[in-house]
Amino acid sequence: MQRLLDSGLEELTVMVYRMGGLAEKALSLSINGFIEGKDFSQDVHELSENLVNKSVEVEEKCFGLIAKYQPVASDLRIINSYMKVAYDFERYGRYGWDISFIGTRFNGKNEKCDKWIFDYIRKLAAKVLEMVRVSIDSLRKLNPELVKTMTEQENSVDKAYFEFLDKLVAQAGVTNDCTISSLLVVRYLERIADHAMHIMEAVVYIATGEKITLR
Amino acid sequence: MTKLSKRFIELPPAKVETINLRATYGKVQALKGINIKFPENQVTAVMGPSGCGKSTLIRCLNRIHELTPGAKVEGQVILDGLNIYDPKVDPVVIRKRIGMVFQKPNPFPTMSIYDNAVAGLKLNGLRDKKKLDELAEKSLRMAFLWDEVKGDLKKPGTALSGGQQQRLCIARALAVEPEIILMDEPCSALDPIATAKVEESIFQLKKEFTVIIVTHNLQQAARISDYTAFMYLGKLEEFGETTTVFEKPQSELTEKYITGKFG
Repeated sequence: MQRLLDSGLEELTVMVYRMGGLAEKALSLSINGFIEGKDFSQDVHELSENLVNKSVEVEEKCFGLIAKYQPVASDLRIINSYMKVAYDFERYGRYGWDISFIGTRFNGKNEKCDKWIFDYIRKLAAKVLEMVRVSIDSLRKLNPELVKTMTEQENSVDKAYFEFLDKLVAQAGVTNDCTISSLLVVRYLERIADHAMHIMEAVVYIATGEKITLR
Repeated sequence: MTKLSKRFIELPPAKVETINLRATYGKVQALKGINIKFPENQVTAVMGPSGCGKSTLIRCLNRIHELTPGAKVEGQVILDGLNIYDPKVDPVVIRKRIGMVFQKPNPFPTMSIYDNAVAGLKLNGLRDKKKLDELAEKSLRMAFLWDEVKGDLKKPGTALSGGQQQRLCIARALAVEPEIILMDEPCSALDPIATAKVEESIFQLKKEFTVIIVTHNLQQAARISDYTAFMYLGKLEEFGETTTVFEKPQSELTEKYITGKFG
């Protein structure tokens, strides 16, 4: 039996999935652009602005559905979680823009950087992008099982982040452009990983009703 | 098997409980072995599709089910440790301890507002005018009606609006100072404003009474009750804290019913 609420939920789901696609694109462009020294900041900026607008639309849609249908149980969990996930996608876009801005600000690939720094960022970025993809994929499939692999990934991102900081502090006798730009990028990557975990928490909540904190 | 919410173990002490309660109308079995504990000084909502046995359940709690020709009750209803179906128990005494408000406001048509409020007291032999006045005011205040009728107590009860009439019936039930108030869809015939007033009075009543309300209105159950029971085909399918039942029901049937995916 199709309920009046169902068409609203379907529209909401489509909106959130679209945001997932845009967020993934914004992050891929910005991270790869930074690593390869290419300027995608204009594209990423547009994607980020689009995500901000879509996040507002999702929030308005959610409030509309609550006001009209007073959803309960799994319906309520979906709406509650989509509001949070839309915000996480918005943040993905914003961090993407921040990273591409750093790339532009420091004139593309920073020649002053030691090789190990870019190797580190490349490795970390690969892990974080994988987490982003898994978070979006698990939301589409509503598969809370993917949480297990994500928890390991997040721990290794955190570990790599702190290792990087220690190494950078130990090595950087003089603060230079590379120190600052790489530090900011690594910091954003770590934050992106946290938002991927927020999305996984939402997936678990929708699918099982359990409220968990993975971070 | 009845699904219980996780925090079920933190349930406050039960005021009344049923043990393997079965009820029939002739050959039709309306209740098929209900075990439930209604917490004291809390509002418990009983919901479920039509014909699931929710009204029969509350009618068994104050022994009015047996007044229907051909109706029969088996099992136990324990009120403060006393099985109210024990042959030595006088059902009239039980009905004084457990008051009831029905779906349709039913003030006595020939009586004034005041006389309606104190009807039960007079029936029980109370004649002291001062005491009657006191209890009339107290019960009308508890039903959130006093301020609206205090200048018109001699007017007929039927002159009031539907919502006021229902609150008058609540006042009439409260006047005899029961311990439990049973309500069978008390707002189904009322408009949203009157419903809000009755709900406000129900919410306040739990300070002094244990309230058990049968409702078809899910949002009403969510708004006013502390605990919710979901019944299906004469069985108790789920019982738990209202927030849990409406956010994360344990039973798939409850989930389907409250989200409107039933059938």
